[in-house]
Amino acid sequence: MGGYGDVQMIDENGIRVDGRGPGDLRPVSIETGVIPVADGSARVIWGTNHAVAAVYGPMECHPRKIQRQDRAVLDVRYNMAPFSTTDRMRPGFNRRSREISKVTADALESVVLLEMYPRCKVRVEIEILCAEAGTRCVGLTAASVALAHAGIPMTDMVVSVASGKINDVVVCDLNKEEDNYGEADLPMGILPNSGELVFLQMDGDLSQAEFQQAWDYNMEAAMVVHQIMVDALKGGDA
Amino acid sequence: MAIPIVPQLLRAHLAELAENDERHDGRARWESRNTELEIGVLRNAEGSAKVRIGDTIVYAGVKFQIMTPYPDRPNQGGLMCSAEIRPVAGPNWEPGPPSPESIELGRVVDRGIRESGCIDVDNLCIIPGEKAWQVILDLFAISDDGNLFDAFALAGIAALKSAMLPEVKFEMSDSDRPLPVSKTPIMCSYHKVGGRFVYDADGREELGGDERIHITLGDDDHVHSLQKGLKGIFTENEFSEIMEHAQSRCKELREMVHNAEEAD
Amino acid sequence: MSASMVMKDGRVARPDNMSVSNDAGGPRNQGRASLLVAPGEDLGESEGHEAGHGVLEMDGRLRATKHGRVNDNGTEIAIEPLRTAYIPRPSDLVIGYVEGCTNNIWFIDIGAPFNAILPMSLGPGKAAFGGTRSIMDIGEAVLCRVQEVEETHSSVVTMKGMGLRKIRSGNIEQVDPHLLGRLIGKGGKALRQLKEDTDCRIIVADNGRVWIDGEFDGIVSARDQLKAMSDDAKSIGVDA
Repeated sequence: MGGYGDVQMIDENGIRVDGRGPGDLRPVSIETGVIPVADGSARVIWGTNHAVAAVYGPMECHPRKIQRQDRAVLDVRYNMAPFSTTDRMRPGFNRRSREISKVTADALESVVLLEMYPRCKVRVEIEILCAEAGTRCVGLTAASVALAHAGIPMTDMVVSVASGKINDVVVCDLNKEEDNYGEADLPMGILPNSGELVFLQMDGDLSQAEFQQAWDYNMEAAMVVHQIMVDALKGGDA
Repeated sequence: MAIPIVPQLLRAHLAELAENDERHDGRARWESRNTELEIGVLRNAEGSAKVRIGDTIVYAGVKFQIMTPYPDRPNQGGLMCSAEIRPVAGPNWEPGPPSPESIELGRVVDRGIRESGCIDVDNLCIIPGEKAWQVILDLFAISDDGNLFDAFALAGIAALKSAMLPEVKFEMSDSDRPLPVSKTPIMCSYHKVGGRFVYDADGREELGGDERIHITLGDDDHVHSLQKGLKGIFTENEFSEIMEHAQSRCKELREMVHNAEEAD
Repeated sequence: MSASMVMKDGRVARPDNMSVSNDAGGPRNQGRASLLVAPGEDLGESEGHEAGHGVLEMDGRLRATKHGRVNDNGTEIAIEPLRTAYIPRPSDLVIGYVEGCTNNIWFIDIGAPFNAILPMSLGPGKAAFGGTRSIMDIGEAVLCRVQEVEETHSSVVTMKGMGLRKIRSGNIEQVDPHLLGRLIGKGGKALRQLKEDTDCRIIVADNGRVWIDGEFDGIVSARDQLKAMSDDAKSIGVDA
């Protein structure tokens, strides 16, 4: 978080650089079946973020040493395409991608009924084709829809959204400038049917009251995104 | 990439189809699958394109960097082309360093574009001997149902033709200018299936087929790159038959690129 | 074995291969047009209803765990998934490909998460120890039946039985398992019609593989009709 207090990101009427109010989401659209060769797939366009997710499996888990006798292994990979960012992203090993893959897997493992498929593996591939801000949230949301689309049993879908703070104002769903110059970022993974959490990160500086506001924004936004996810699944493939 | 087993019945069936001048999906021998091209699809790339051929879907994105020209060519910029086929694209693609298959793909597409001379590398020089533009073309597959070569080549040239040199971002001028791309090299790929060559093989034909041949032709039907891949033997007659088809098909695809450019 | 298993956290779920309503053909027991749900959706109180395939009982309520259609037969609420992996069940008729072998076992790819095992004793013929490949080689296709499924979904198949054999001619097409019901039709009517129209022998296996054998023109015509049917189902989408 930069914390550049002198960059004016929100005016006195609470209107943000892209014209949104503090609690507004960027436009979100979701489609299923966008990768025909996959067992399940989804595309999420969120602002100018563009993510696709593919699911393969359940399949026999290789290599054997990562196999689990009592459940399936969720093999999640989050990756950014080389042209997805302003400066080209070098392909290959990347600590940030590894961390996001891991927390995404941790979040999804909390809902996928892995006990149904002992010794198997379910592959979840998340590719960010165009990144604006909040790609981990977009990726996790896309992965949830792709898993549901593949017919993988799960107790709920994970909806992921982030809120943060710019110029001392708490706002929902940071865009790129706000993410660069903002003072805090709170991404959460929410189970919409119970309001429980499976993913939580935060960095920056928030007072207790600001934190509560950001939390509430996320909860509200999650319900909106959840409806778009459900509509995408019920509306049939692209 | 993991190599799946080749069902013997599939090979026998493809051979029977070939004898009857049929293909497993009902196409004619030189017929391609439905081909769609969109350009300017990804905001953060300086040029981008998406190509869908049947169930094969790929993206191409262009990015620019500032490089120091090579000592032996102080007045020239550079072009780099790489293909990445990540495990998202199919059950047999695996994570890890680039596979030989994806390296071959990137290099064959690179040669066709580079050798056609469509990018004037002298035009990319900023300060001779010190600064020049490097054009980086990244090819990215999200769904592989065969013939990634043609999909990559088509997306690649279309992305280059839509690319803007980011002179504002690099504080060199007040406006971005289009990357000058003077020609439109097009690749056509042929696969030997059931004992004869067919155009635009899909995943099943690739699985049950033998060798493949890739031809890149420039604007005046000049040949810019050739590649024979996989195990197999072919004759001069077979090759001239392919070359003849490539000449007409390349024209159609070039037209598609031009139309997409105009629509953009 | 009990009909349901209790998971570590006390939830009750039915493994796929023991579920009563999970026909590999999916829509085979399709009743009335029913509600489409996404995973996580609440399906009402569990009182008086059993949790069927794709349904979990949590805190006295039923919840969908799969994307699909709700089937309520009065006593049990189940989800008929829109897309699902093939999970073998005992007595399923399957078409497999020999993927590997040892001295006395073939490993058969039946399109499930795990390869099935075909021991020589259940194979098509007798050979000396070490002679498996001389009877059936890698890449050959077989029509076999699932004999046994482990809790982990790995399975044993047999070729002892009426009509089970090595497939030597014709063509094998792949149909999404959830579309098989459409292909077969009510009481097998659609399939019978297809066989008559094309004059082909057509065997629809539970793992979504369809063997078509006959004269060349018949095979091609059957293939076209299969493709039309599956495109049709896709274009109608989930409202089918």
